[in-house]
Parts: sequence; structure tokens; C-alpha cells
Amino acid sequence: MTCRLYEKQLSLYLDGELPAARAARLEAHLRLCPHCRGELKAMIGIADHIRAASTGLEVSHDFDQRVLRAVGYWEVTGRRVARPRSLLRPLFFVAVVLLALLGIIWHYLAPPPSRQPQPAAAQIAPAPAVPGTPVTPPGRRQR
Amino acid sequence: MEKAAVSPTLVGERRLRLAKDSDLVSACAAGAPEAFRELLARYRRSALTLAYQMLGNAEDAEDVAQEAFVRVFQAIPRFRQEAAFPTWLYRIVTNLCLGRRRKQRPLVALETLREPTGPDSPSQQVAEGLLARQVLTALPPHLRAVLLLREQEGLSYRDIAGALGVPVGTVRSRLSKARASFRRLWAELSESGEGKQ
Repeated sequence: MTCRLYEKQLSLYLDGELPAARAARLEAHLRLCPHCRGELKAMIGIADHIRAASTGLEVSHDFDQRVLRAVGYWEVTGRRVARPRSLLRPLFFVAVVLLALLGIIWHYLAPPPSRQPQPAAAQIAPAPAVPGTPVTPPGRRQR
Repeated sequence: MEKAAVSPTLVGERRLRLAKDSDLVSACAAGAPEAFRELLARYRRSALTLAYQMLGNAEDAEDVAQEAFVRVFQAIPRFRQEAAFPTWLYRIVTNLCLGRRRKQRPLVALETLREPTGPDSPSQQVAEGLLARQVLTALPPHLRAVLLLREQEGLSYRDIAGALGVPVGTVRSRLSKARASFRRLWAELSESGEGKQ
């Protein structure tokens, strides 16, 4: 059998699809034939070449979301997945808590407001009584 | 078809990650869309890579991979799991790619591919990747499909036959031809690239 015929069997041999008897004949040939050994080695290398062909290929960041949107995933599950959460809500709660704390601290630590001194009752000179006008005692409202 | 082994109302993320493909398929068919998300996470990269190797264009590949998953979601209640899930997915991806290539462009002539990898190639790996893409592009689509399903996705001859809808004997002969063509084109393009540098 010539090399050309053996070469046709190399692909099946590589995948373990060659019947045992033919595989044994091919192996005997491979031991003697550097050309066919080289062909087999090159075929084994094809997988590596093909892997190299997709080097640098990246799945886009929104791949899943586009698929899930297309199939109506959000409507089915009633929730959104993998959507980046907004920081506004937690920041709002933190701000509210901080303001509340500040209010409490202010309430307890701030000095009490200084009171204006009440004018002494004695210092207020009573209005001069007009003759004929009834005098209302202090604490009673005049009708 | 078996009833869902995973409750439709599940489902902790951990349980999903540990579930078998077949259980996820059953769960998804029974109305647990979270199971579909897990299948998407498991196979998006290989679907995209297969489409990219078939089409040679990252944008088209992404469109095809996404469309394939949409079809999976729509058809999963009817999928009887006679083949493994990835085999079914790759069949959809391959058919979409073959259909798209038929609509779009003709095969690139070999002469137009005889470009040197360039002295400014950032690395040997990039140069090898470029050369491999050129070789794959130059292969006829039916040979490329069988080669990729075998060498890249590791499918058995039987699964490739199922994925492409051809007899196993056809897979054998196509794979043999595809490997021989790949070898020949690789040698030719490597020599022409080296000769120009």
C-alpha cells in the first residue's frame, strides 16, 4: 500500500475510528515512514491552530442581557438580572441616618439658648389712673 | 420527555451551577427560566467561538450566537434530549452560519488571502491565529463545519452527523478531506508568508 492510501486513514486513526486490523497495519507503516509520521503530527497540530484562530475573541458584556431581553426573560421572572445597581438609594439612606444622628447630637450637646431677663414687675410704672376709670386688679381681664 | 428533576420554583444559584445540562433543559422546559440563564452562561462562549470560526467576523458571530440562544429558548419545550444539549445548540449555530454565508458572501479566493502576517505582528500566537483564520475562511463551509465541530467542540462522529443532518460516513469522508485541505492550505500560506517577509 502506498503512502497516499495510508494518508487517507490518518484522520480516522487520529479519532480512534479505524478498525483494529487496519490500525495495526497503519502503525507498522508509521514506524517505517517519516513522511506519514510528519503528516500525522501535523494533523494533531490542527486543533491547536484552530484554538489560536479565536484568540482575543471576547463575549461582549451585554451578551446575556440582549438574549434575555429578546426571549422576554424579564417579563417571565418579573425581575431584572445583572443590572448594575444604582448607588443613589443607599446614599440617600446613609444621608438620612447621618442627618438624624447630627440632630440628636445637636439636641444633647448644644448649649441651651440664653433667656432674656424678664423685666421686673415693680419696674413697670403703672399707668396713671384716670379719674372715673375703674381700676382692674392685676390678673383679671377687663370687660 | 422526563419530568423536570429541578423544581421550576427553585432555585439557588449554587444548585443551578451544579445541575446537569439535561436537568437544566428539563427545568427550563417546565417553566424555570433561571435554568436557561445557566445554560446561556455555560455555552455562550463556545457558541460564539464556533460562529466566529464559521463566519470569520466577530459582529456577525455575536448576532448568530444570540439568535441561536433565542431559538433554543423558544424550542426547548419540544427538545426531546435525544442528543446532548451542546450538540443541539451547535447544530443551530452551524445551520444559522451556513444560511448566513449562503445569503452573504462567496468564498474568499485563496489569492486574496496571501497576505504576510506583517513584521509588526505583536506575537507569534497572534500571527498563528491570523493564519488559522485565513485557512478556515478558505475551506468550503461544509468542511469547515465538520472540522470545527470535531477539533474545537470535540463532538463524536455520531454527534456531528446529528448536528449537520448527514450520515456518519459523510462525516468520516468530510473530516478526512477537511484535515487534508487544512494541512495543505496551512503549508501554502505559511510558505508564502515567510517568503514575503
